[in-house]
Amino acid sequence: MRDDFNQLEARSLTRHYVVRSSRGSGRAKKIVRAVDDVSLRLDAGRVTAVVGESGSGKSVLARMLARIVTPTSGELLLEGSLVPPRSRRTLSYASEVQLVLQDPFASINPVHRIRHSLERPLLIHHTPKKEVEGRALSALARVSLEPPERFMDRYPHELSGGQLQRVSIARALCVNPKVLLADEPISMLDVSVRLGILNLLRDLCDNERVAILYITHDIASARYIADETIVMYAGQVVERSHGTGLIDEPKHPYTQLLISSVPDPNEPLRRAPEVENHLDRDVSLVEGCRFAPRCLHAMQKCRQVTPPAFTVGDAHTAKCWLFDGHGVDVALSRRAQGGHISDT
Amino acid sequence: MIEEGTVPSDGAHTGDTVFEIEDFNVDYGWGDDAVHAVKNVTLSVRRSRVLGIAGESGSGKSTLVYAATRLLRSPGVITGGAVRLNYVDTSSGDDEVRVVDILAASERELRDIRWSRISIVLQSALNALNPVLRIGHEFDEVLKTHRGNMTKAQRRARAEELLALVGLEADKLARFPHELSGGQRQRVMIALALSLDPPLIIMDEPTTALDVVTQHEIINELAQLRERFQFAMIFITHDLSLLVELADEIAVMYAGNVVEWAPAKDLYYAPRHPYTLGLLSSSPPLHGTRQELVGIAGSPPDMSQPLIGCSFHTRCTFALDKCSKDAPPLRVIDERSRKVACWLHEDGKVVPPALTKSQSTPNPTAVPNESSPEPAGAVQ
Repeated sequence: MRDDFNQLEARSLTRHYVVRSSRGSGRAKKIVRAVDDVSLRLDAGRVTAVVGESGSGKSVLARMLARIVTPTSGELLLEGSLVPPRSRRTLSYASEVQLVLQDPFASINPVHRIRHSLERPLLIHHTPKKEVEGRALSALARVSLEPPERFMDRYPHELSGGQLQRVSIARALCVNPKVLLADEPISMLDVSVRLGILNLLRDLCDNERVAILYITHDIASARYIADETIVMYAGQVVERSHGTGLIDEPKHPYTQLLISSVPDPNEPLRRAPEVENHLDRDVSLVEGCRFAPRCLHAMQKCRQVTPPAFTVGDAHTAKCWLFDGHGVDVALSRRAQGGHISDT
Repeated sequence: MIEEGTVPSDGAHTGDTVFEIEDFNVDYGWGDDAVHAVKNVTLSVRRSRVLGIAGESGSGKSTLVYAATRLLRSPGVITGGAVRLNYVDTSSGDDEVRVVDILAASERELRDIRWSRISIVLQSALNALNPVLRIGHEFDEVLKTHRGNMTKAQRRARAEELLALVGLEADKLARFPHELSGGQRQRVMIALALSLDPPLIIMDEPTTALDVVTQHEIINELAQLRERFQFAMIFITHDLSLLVELADEIAVMYAGNVVEWAPAKDLYYAPRHPYTLGLLSSSPPLHGTRQELVGIAGSPPDMSQPLIGCSFHTRCTFALDKCSKDAPPLRVIDERSRKVACWLHEDGKVVPPALTKSQSTPNPTAVPNESSPEPAGAVQ
């Protein structure tokens, strides 16, 4: 892929939080490794999905990419040039990378008209006064709120959740960003309007070449729109693939667990393939696979050495020691015929 | 023995039904400004069976069960209908079936049946559990109130037994709610709901706030517990595919009405109401070819505005002239096996092919596709 597609790149992004425990002896410090060594690249005209459960670090990752949270280590490159790590977020960075949040009712000021929410970012970004209204209107049109004039003078409470999420996306698009970070944009919405938002994101990506990071806990929605899918567990990337590879043929035991947990009416209720059900994930582990305490296939090695990314398919990698070497047949029971690794 | 997968016909008042809601109406507010949150709903749950109620936010599904159990607070007003609870009273020794008219019951009668005959599990266990009381205290209080003859040691033993049922260790009794994870708290709620062995448990989105892995575990456990204790369940959720796994029958609600009520598999594989069809095709599938889905255009109606005709007609692709004028009643179609509120199924009408599928030709979005995945970017 040509490099001019590359809009935003993260190299080994890491964020640690220090937690002081009030329990136990003294005031022991504990380091929570919320995001550990995550690299990804957002390209123009592509949707990258990050899938993870609560506490997997996916939102912290989005906030680091938006430069709201400062990484503990790692680098950010915007259009190939290094972003000074310790500097404040600049206006120009914000005009290139915009964030859309989960709850539109919370992220849009309820006491102002929609007009205010859309024009304010334009004014902050020094748009000439006479262009402001036109650009706000065109942003509404871009998210299919038609006719835009009708929405400008409404208050947020007059709009439905789906419409409000569109306003929230329009607000992000106002300043013509190259990268849109969408953090769980559909999880607060009704089932019947979710698809509209997903299709809108896909259209923005295909027709306007916006690079999109789509963060979700709903792996089926990732399968629906993503060009690349990344699965995170306890702050680490465990599996990634292009297209729908890792969903159709999941290799990492965690991805398999995640997918087999999605309700599937075509399958009778299955016992989750897991030994220790109720273990909290330990995000303070420095070495070893963080999924090992819950993993059916955990070996001695898993608890001692962090697995590197092994290639398990076409543009498909999994961080799991089961794939060390070659031709290991994991024979993990899965409803899809996944779990077999070709002898390469 | 009731035939597998049939919906009881109108007014069927058999000893097999544990909970009946008849022509039930609930408003918020009074007079002309009242919002009709639940409109002419008739539903029933049979002994040891699971009735799933699916609907989006604002469809009235929670209002329905809160009002039907007299838990709804002002400005919610029950404006009509009947609700009956039928249970077998084993205390008198002759296994007599008692019928309680819930809407007419006094506070004292309600107090007797609440938790011992109907218990409820709410979406947010953090809000349902008292944050300043230890878990053990919650169990103690329930057992003290309803089982006055139990000693402290017996109550403790029962609480431990209940926790074990949901896979929690006894040491959790000494914990506060904030010390437990979301899944553990919801398990505590389920154990509490089971504590008096009620014939009916109402679950209001019990897993919505949980991660998918935890949700799957809890749904599994619920299915096993139901198998073992034979309680009936009303399970409310917005996730239709979850219901198909768990429920025997599903009622789909839209804008305060039940629009379709059918055996779970029938509803999933062969929906008859356009809204059910739209809802089913709104969730991207985990298998098969990636293709663009359309879902349902528009958004759910504003309930504070008066709705004329079918509440779904503005979003319906099959809408007829009649749909914008008269509201369709919930009527039995398909040889009594299900009920649908839709004019398309009126006698003599040609029903669109999408709504006449039989169970043997499953919903295309739900079929596992054996073929290799589409290349990236197939959604275009």
